[in-house]
Amino acid sequence: MMHPRQLRQQIHQGLNFGLVLASAFMFWKFLSVLTSSESPVVVVLSGSMEPAFQRGDVLFLYNRDNYVDVGDIVVYQVKDKSIPIVHRVMNEHHIEYTTSAQQQQQQQQQAKSSGSEYSPLVHTSGGKQLLLTKGDNNPVNDLGLYGRNQGYLNRDDDILGVVKGYVPFVGYITILITENVYLKYAMIGFMAISALLSNEE
Amino acid sequence: MFSITQRFQTLSNTALTYAIYVAVAVVATFYYQLYFDGASSVPATVDNISIKSHFKSSRSFGSMNKKPKENTKLTFDIDADLSPLFNWNTKQVFVYLTAEYPGKNSQASNKVTYWDKIVTSKEDANLELKNQRSKYNVWDVEKTFRGREAVVRLEWNIQPHIGPLVWGSTVSNATIVYPDSKVGGK
Repeated sequence: MMHPRQLRQQIHQGLNFGLVLASAFMFWKFLSVLTSSESPVVVVLSGSMEPAFQRGDVLFLYNRDNYVDVGDIVVYQVKDKSIPIVHRVMNEHHIEYTTSAQQQQQQQQQAKSSGSEYSPLVHTSGGKQLLLTKGDNNPVNDLGLYGRNQGYLNRDDDILGVVKGYVPFVGYITILITENVYLKYAMIGFMAISALLSNEE
Repeated sequence: MFSITQRFQTLSNTALTYAIYVAVAVVATFYYQLYFDGASSVPATVDNISIKSHFKSSRSFGSMNKKPKENTKLTFDIDADLSPLFNWNTKQVFVYLTAEYPGKNSQASNKVTYWDKIVTSKEDANLELKNQRSKYNVWDVEKTFRGREAVVRLEWNIQPHIGPLVWGSTVSNATIVYPDSKVGGK
């Protein structure tokens, strides 16, 4: 049987650990909301943007601008492909579809006939931005990386964020952990042992 | 009282705090130096621009389903001194030549890149190029460029050793008019 005081101490430790995890998760989600990007901090995995970005460098993303500009470095993920890619925007085509005056009238009449006091949003236009990207260190553009019959990326569908800030090298630890199984076990073992040791105090 | 893990934690916390202080100081002086050196008005001229236009029908030239697509290339002279962009936090400068032209209606627009270069040191920052050919074949979302007028600019992006990336444009400003090509002809 465990002594009640010991049990209480263990529960306390467990809760503390949970709190650390929860606050890390909250901070990550808060950054996501702030930048409007599902992964606001990424680690560079390939050398296609060398010498500026090398493996293990950390990039900070921002995704709140409606349109990206030529020369911006974006992180994109093509549908059905799992790996996000960090490349520079070469060409940008901003397309706006304006609806005709007749269609606008129809929309307004519909809004009136529905009888609501608040006139709903009347869309006078819709648009999209098409992008062609290339890695600074690659000889050719990214057409070969896109999907079949996909000539451009779509800003709204494919872009995860625009690179705004850079910190070198500190992300290399995540590459080491994900690509080296023994290191992963060593880390877990070290954490377990240090938890046990701190228990004894 | 003092366990190894505690000592390790205190040490790494202090190291991290001071590393952040140093990074902030580096970024502050980086911005100050850029402002002081006049990075917002880098002197540059782009002129003697000529356009070549071809119709291509392979996927790597922007064509879909073998439909002919107008590809354009430029030949140009550049005279630019990018040395104001280099200071102690500049890792490299990516300099690129863009053309911006209107789309089908007033809200639409297009911007394309014809040429770019990675400059990694202040010694190479003085660009004097004569009859430089563009690096890329450029196509539009439409079949042809329809004789539109484009504004050509030399722009830059500083990638730092640490901190925010900085973008800007040189004072160069040139206009070109695309040929009014018909599909199939030259």
